[in-house]
Amino acid sequence: MEKIPIRVFVVLVFILITTPAWAASGEEKDFTGPLKALKLIVPEDAAQRAYLGIEAKSGEISLNTIKADILVIEIFSMYCPHCQKHAPVANQFFAAIEKNKAARDRIRMIGIGVGNSPYEVGIFKEKYSPPFPLFDDRNSAVVNAFSGIVTPYYFILRLEEGKAFEVLYSKGGGYTDAEEFLGMIMDLTGIK
Amino acid sequence: MKRTIWTASMCLAVVFMVSQSAVAVSEAMRQEIYDVGTLKPTDSTLKVKVGEKAPEFTLKSLSGKDVSLSDYLGKKIVVLSFVPAAWTPVCSDQWPGYNIVQDVFEKNDAVILGITVDNIPTLHAWTLQMGKLWFPVLSDFWPHGAVAQQYGVLRTDGTAERAIFIIDKQGVIRYIDVHDINQRPPLEGIIQELEKIR
Repeated sequence: MEKIPIRVFVVLVFILITTPAWAASGEEKDFTGPLKALKLIVPEDAAQRAYLGIEAKSGEISLNTIKADILVIEIFSMYCPHCQKHAPVANQFFAAIEKNKAARDRIRMIGIGVGNSPYEVGIFKEKYSPPFPLFDDRNSAVVNAFSGIVTPYYFILRLEEGKAFEVLYSKGGGYTDAEEFLGMIMDLTGIK
Repeated sequence: MKRTIWTASMCLAVVFMVSQSAVAVSEAMRQEIYDVGTLKPTDSTLKVKVGEKAPEFTLKSLSGKDVSLSDYLGKKIVVLSFVPAAWTPVCSDQWPGYNIVQDVFEKNDAVILGITVDNIPTLHAWTLQMGKLWFPVLSDFWPHGAVAQQYGVLRTDGTAERAIFIIDKQGVIRYIDVHDINQRPPLEGIIQELEKIR
């Protein structure tokens, strides 16, 4: 067998070094710490609390109190033009989850308006009618923890009730095909 | 033979690296924005007060027309929204928020005039990525920052403050917020003031 020429070897090593890890996994940065520390205001809407399995009627919750196997989080901003354009696709994605029995039983989706007040999140709700719960950032916890984040930004978490969770995916930017995005999540999480 | 393998490897390397950069579409969008870092919150001295007549001005708009403050006298409440500069982080995510609440401003009989010290071609390219804005965008480029200077919101580096002035139909200033340049003024603050005036 012929030996690999040294120059070919150098090129292959160069490719490996210069290829970012997130290119294959979809992962950009490690936000596990900020996500674990994140507190969200309990929704006033009882239907939203029921969807997320939240028993508390007020106060704050951590992400791992949400009852789901997989949690999809869209970080958006009312002010972000890309989030505005992406809103109908995000709604289609939620509809795709709800249409798929295996996904519907195990996946929950929320949106968090980074740096947005309750009023601003209310405007986003009114304009784009997202069918999934939206949380505001009235205490600037999200904007401080995720400073410089590109919106929309997606996280996919594997939750275990009351325990630490695993960040399976994190990526800035939206997607154009809701069904394809759901397919990617189902492959990633092993949901069938 | 070795030469062929070498050439093929280089081609493979180039194709692979190009395909990886194409994955990061959002990275490309982020690169359009110049990160100015954290700036001194305010860096100018106001020259107008609430209750005073707003200084008149005429500026060129993106549409090519001249727009004067007096065009709205007796017709509309005017919200002057000065932003520091095009292609900077907070500014790029301010007017797109106002763009989806045209109905709220109209309900309050108000119009926004967006003003920066950038020239028209820069404003054209910058606002294109925001979608079609419903309100006039005005260039205070030359004489540089003259209107910002008139109101006392021209910073020492030649950019404008992130400032809101609300001017009633009689041309009187009813509200001023020279905001921390690093933060966006909350929308509800503006709307609450408009509701008070209306």
